[in-house]
Amino acid sequence: MGAKSFGHYQQISQCFDELVQADGQIRPPAAAIARFIDRHGSAELIQRQEQLNQTISAMGVCFTLYSDGNNIDRCWPLDVMPRTIPSSEWQKTSAGLKQRLAALNLFIDDLYHDQRILKDGKVPADLVLDSRNYLAPCKGISPRYGVWANICGTDLVRDGSGKFLVLEDNLRVPSGVSYMLENRTVMKRVFPELFADSFIYPVDDYPHQLWRMLASLSPRPGDVPCIVLLTPGVYNSAYFEHSFLAQQMGVELAENTDLLVQDDIVYLKTLHGLQRVDVIYRRVDDIFIDPQAFRPDSVLGIPGLIKAWAKGNVSIANAPGSGVADDKVIYAYVPEIINYYLGEQPLIDNVPTYLCLDPKQREYVLANLGQLVVKPANESGGYGILIGPRSTKEEQQQMAEAIKANPRNFIAQPTLALSTAPTLCDGVLEPRHLDLRPFILQGRDLYCTTGGLSRVALKKGSLVVNSSQGGGSKDTWIINDEV
Amino acid sequence: MLLKSLDHIFWLGRYLERLDDTARLINATSHLLIDSHKDSQFSWPLLLDVLGQNGAELLSQLPPSDLTVEQQVMSFLITDADSEVSIRSACSALKQNARTVRQLIPRDMWEELNSLDLFLQEHCQQLQGRQHRYRLMTEVSRRCQMVVGVLDGTMLRSDAFDLFNIGRHVERADMTTRIMDVMVLQQLQPTDIKRPRFRWTSILNALGGIESYHYYLAHQNTEVDAVDYLLTYADFPRSIAYCLHRVAASAKALPHSAAILQRVWQLQDLLKTQNLSELTTGQLHQLIDQFQTGIIELHEVISTPKPEFSTDLSQQMSA
Repeated sequence: MGAKSFGHYQQISQCFDELVQADGQIRPPAAAIARFIDRHGSAELIQRQEQLNQTISAMGVCFTLYSDGNNIDRCWPLDVMPRTIPSSEWQKTSAGLKQRLAALNLFIDDLYHDQRILKDGKVPADLVLDSRNYLAPCKGISPRYGVWANICGTDLVRDGSGKFLVLEDNLRVPSGVSYMLENRTVMKRVFPELFADSFIYPVDDYPHQLWRMLASLSPRPGDVPCIVLLTPGVYNSAYFEHSFLAQQMGVELAENTDLLVQDDIVYLKTLHGLQRVDVIYRRVDDIFIDPQAFRPDSVLGIPGLIKAWAKGNVSIANAPGSGVADDKVIYAYVPEIINYYLGEQPLIDNVPTYLCLDPKQREYVLANLGQLVVKPANESGGYGILIGPRSTKEEQQQMAEAIKANPRNFIAQPTLALSTAPTLCDGVLEPRHLDLRPFILQGRDLYCTTGGLSRVALKKGSLVVNSSQGGGSKDTWIINDEV
Repeated sequence: MLLKSLDHIFWLGRYLERLDDTARLINATSHLLIDSHKDSQFSWPLLLDVLGQNGAELLSQLPPSDLTVEQQVMSFLITDADSEVSIRSACSALKQNARTVRQLIPRDMWEELNSLDLFLQEHCQQLQGRQHRYRLMTEVSRRCQMVVGVLDGTMLRSDAFDLFNIGRHVERADMTTRIMDVMVLQQLQPTDIKRPRFRWTSILNALGGIESYHYYLAHQNTEVDAVDYLLTYADFPRSIAYCLHRVAASAKALPHSAAILQRVWQLQDLLKTQNLSELTTGQLHQLIDQFQTGIIELHEVISTPKPEFSTDLSQQMSA
């Protein structure tokens, strides 16, 4: 396949491009899309992008912004060019993601029981026990199968050589999976011929897998479980996803006022009276879910929920306290954690990470702020991050002071040459940086999505992919290359 | 279904029907204007009054404008975001309710609703001329019917489905009586004189009922008119009798069906005890008023099932 497919597409040197090889040849999994462009030209591509935008607005695929007056819903940004990954590579990646979640769950369970790993000195005890995500009231509790983080969204990036690395684990309330599903629905409508042309693995079994996983957590295994999805409400930024998943799974979408706890049993207020709840898929942060157990000022919580959960009368996914492993400092120890609990080497590596906690590493970080990415340990959504090469002296100075004041709260990583993919920008294909968030489920079984949500930085040269900060997305195609 | 969702799904049905019926009312008005002689006075305040607005006050407050009163009233009924009765605000309320109970409705319906909303955003700005308005309103009605059709063909028969249908038929009964009221009051002031026979071809046309009305006439022994037809002919889907029948049928599986059914029977009795063709115009107007009050009461019992959640659990546990 010649280079003509993408016209004057200019790769960024040092970056791995997902669709085009360094020599300008199209990668085999992208053959179908390249053929399409050869056959129809880029004008057709632009027209399909327009059709795609209309489909998204007709389908009502949106996300919610907090401070936007009445018009709170924004159309979900999806780029017409898919990202392709060969299935042989995905097999290994998916195995690595499952390995990682299994180890993290063994780790969390250990932290709330014997704390062997701390006693053995593999992870510094104060790091865990002083973390605001370590919830002491959870000590001694045993969720079903010993699994605390049932739903995990792991962010992957590729380095300059194209190797997948884990950027972070999201073990609290990871979001984005609904957009992965909707992206596919939209793409199938807009590019039916491409789906006929190559074998693209489907993604649409996720809602059922999620339901199965949640059902496996039921404390009354013989009965049909009553599962609810707990949302903070219609103004939450992920409300679209909450209602989408509830609808796709066929479970109730409840807010805290729809639930009550009596005699340590959780009930749902239905039209027909109270119904006992078995499993709560909560999309509310753990410290807000029960004002009696954690924050007394929480207006999103259900009083008595934690006691009901501790008694085993209801399952909560993710279990409260699982966020202890969703800390960017703990992240640095995950390879060690995998080795400790499973006796295996990690199948996917971490991005090299410097802990500001460690005096030597801190010294290095402070001396090299201009080259590093510095992240606070417990923020999400891309907030509070310093991207060294793009920062001003003043920002670096501020960050240096923040690090010195609270070294435990910061990690630093080298600025990666994140991979790129051709993206339609103002009618022209240009390389844009992207990441990938697959979703991994663990209940009785382990499951990993086929691909995940690819987020793409739409601004030229930008590394910020979060939709709340102007990022877009791409449909991710796992293409069968094993036939 | 969550108790909380009851109101949203009920209002979803109401607003969808309101959108359709407001479009029909606008078309019925246009028909009436076309049918009227040039020198006959159309009472715009009256049209606004039957929609629950203070018509005289509203019209007196209109800013000076090059537009005719007709155009101004139509903009109030179609595009005005501040007007409680406009097509635009009905659609935005519809969308808000759908968003809140999205998990209960089929995704095809969600998509139809979005496409309806986008259509209105795009087209409801241009209101020039009766012809254009007629096409626009017909399209609104058509799209509302598509939403209902999608739902009918795909939605699980559940409490939510029943409540949606109850909402639709309560609203329809409400709007049919309002439309009748416009027609009665536009043509005759309420008096003690026995009313003349109403044909109302234009309104029946707007309600899509002209053919079935002729069928009805052909199969009745007694003298009947459009009033009897719209109130009592239960085979016509926009008659009051039909709407009440549908509310009762949909309410049967609900936990508070007894209270709902009782209200429905009271309204049905109102129809049975009157000799409609003997009513004076004043009595007819009064009867329509009684219906309106009855519909408000019916709405109240539907949206307040009041299960007690905090007392005896054993009695309230559902299967």
